[in-house]
Amino acid sequence: MRKNWYLRIGGALSLLMLIFCAVGLFWTPHDPSAISAADRYALPSPAHLFGCDALGRDIFSRVLQGAAATLTIALAVLAIGAVCGLVIGGLCGYFGGAADAIVMRLCDAIAAFPSVLLALVVMALTGAGRYHLIFALGVLFIPSFARLVRGEFLRQRDLDYVKSARLMGVSPLRIVFVHILPNTFPVLLSGLTIGFNNAVLAEASMSFLGIGVTPQDPSLGYMLSEAQGYLLKTPWYAGFLALTTILLILGVGLLGEGIRSETGVEA
Amino acid sequence: MTEPIFSAAHLNSWYGRGRERKQVLRDVTLSLSPGEALGVVGESGSGKSTLAKCLLGLVTDVEGTLTVNSPRPQMVFQDPYGSLNPAKTVGWILEEPLRAAGVKDKNQRRRRVEEMAALVGLGEEHLSRKPARLSGGQRQRVAIAAALIQGSRFIVLDEPVSALDVTLQAQILRLLADLKERLGLSYLFISHDLAVVYQLCDRVAVMTGGEIVEQGDVDDIYDHPQHDYTKKLLAASLALDG
Repeated sequence: MRKNWYLRIGGALSLLMLIFCAVGLFWTPHDPSAISAADRYALPSPAHLFGCDALGRDIFSRVLQGAAATLTIALAVLAIGAVCGLVIGGLCGYFGGAADAIVMRLCDAIAAFPSVLLALVVMALTGAGRYHLIFALGVLFIPSFARLVRGEFLRQRDLDYVKSARLMGVSPLRIVFVHILPNTFPVLLSGLTIGFNNAVLAEASMSFLGIGVTPQDPSLGYMLSEAQGYLLKTPWYAGFLALTTILLILGVGLLGEGIRSETGVEA
Repeated sequence: MTEPIFSAAHLNSWYGRGRERKQVLRDVTLSLSPGEALGVVGESGSGKSTLAKCLLGLVTDVEGTLTVNSPRPQMVFQDPYGSLNPAKTVGWILEEPLRAAGVKDKNQRRRRVEEMAALVGLGEEHLSRKPARLSGGQRQRVAIAAALIQGSRFIVLDEPVSALDVTLQAQILRLLADLKERLGLSYLFISHDLAVVYQLCDRVAVMTGGEIVEQGDVDDIYDHPQHDYTKKLLAASLALDG
């Protein structure tokens, strides 16, 4: 069989970035928010791998922490979107009918707005902060998953194995969640990789605009808006933040592409 | 006289809705006695599959009288690639009808599955595999076992051997004949292939355009076809064989 380089490189890069982000959850070389006047705009050195920012905070530690924050937010957003989307899309796709039509038009309506704009409205109502951001983006991610899963259920429900299960008297809910659901995993998996990247970007742009996380709980996007302020003095701060974001998205994007070519799924 | 497995009288059925609504069954009257194998022959689009789905309650747009006296009739589908859940193992697929029937005891289910697998000629090593790792003939054996495991005695066979090559066809037909004998099954056998129907069935009904144009004992129909369509079908099948 042809070697799937997308899968290999994407998998390796994703794993590497995942480890990087996970490390940031538990350990950083310095306290990421410790201010030190002596170290303002410090150049990279063995003590501060990537130097320090305008307040003398260790940039490497901050990027680690920001990456961890971004990863957790993106995963939480993805979890809300995927689980709700799965349930809604699965039930709508299998049962169809009037409820399906109504729910799907509602999803169309939500999807018709730019999601960041809509999240902005939600954030304006609830206020900033990590959990509000997760909630706002999570809800906005539901329609795309619901649509994806529904399409797959529509295709699967007319297959003979589903008819056969019905004839055997298997309950409809069991058919949806036990019989059909595992067969939608290839499609869902490639949807998850796309969704993950969208979640990372949405989180970063919202936090960059200052309507995402709070300063006490910074993420990559929030730090990027800080770094922008002294781009000429410490260009490596913004560069390193951007690189982290790009590698994270690139890895997962390639992984998704690899999964798609492996399973022959078009999403 | 014993009660028939099913009896249908003046059955009409439609496909689609509104202006698109097309009649696919016209005044179909047919019945099946216990222990009998009834073949329904016709070209694709003749309504034979719709008839089968009516009997199983899978089609709702139906008029006429229909009584089915066999609990939980089952169906074996043409394509054994689509009729087995690709995400599950054979063991799970065979256990599921028992779970659905409320058999709570896992060991009891396992025992039934092993018995049934042996009956259709599958070994224990097949149970842990997924359908993708079985041959077409093995898959069709799994489908047959799954149809029988709840104890159903009336099975609708929808072109069960059409997707298989000739040697496998003969094997599966022998298995079906054998199971019918041992378990006292009744079959409704849907096929476009008269030769295959001849091997398995006692009686045959010939369908075209949603109507049954002729029905009777297989030998009678083969030796003295009355309807022009039956003659044409027979000639075609002989031409293929010869």
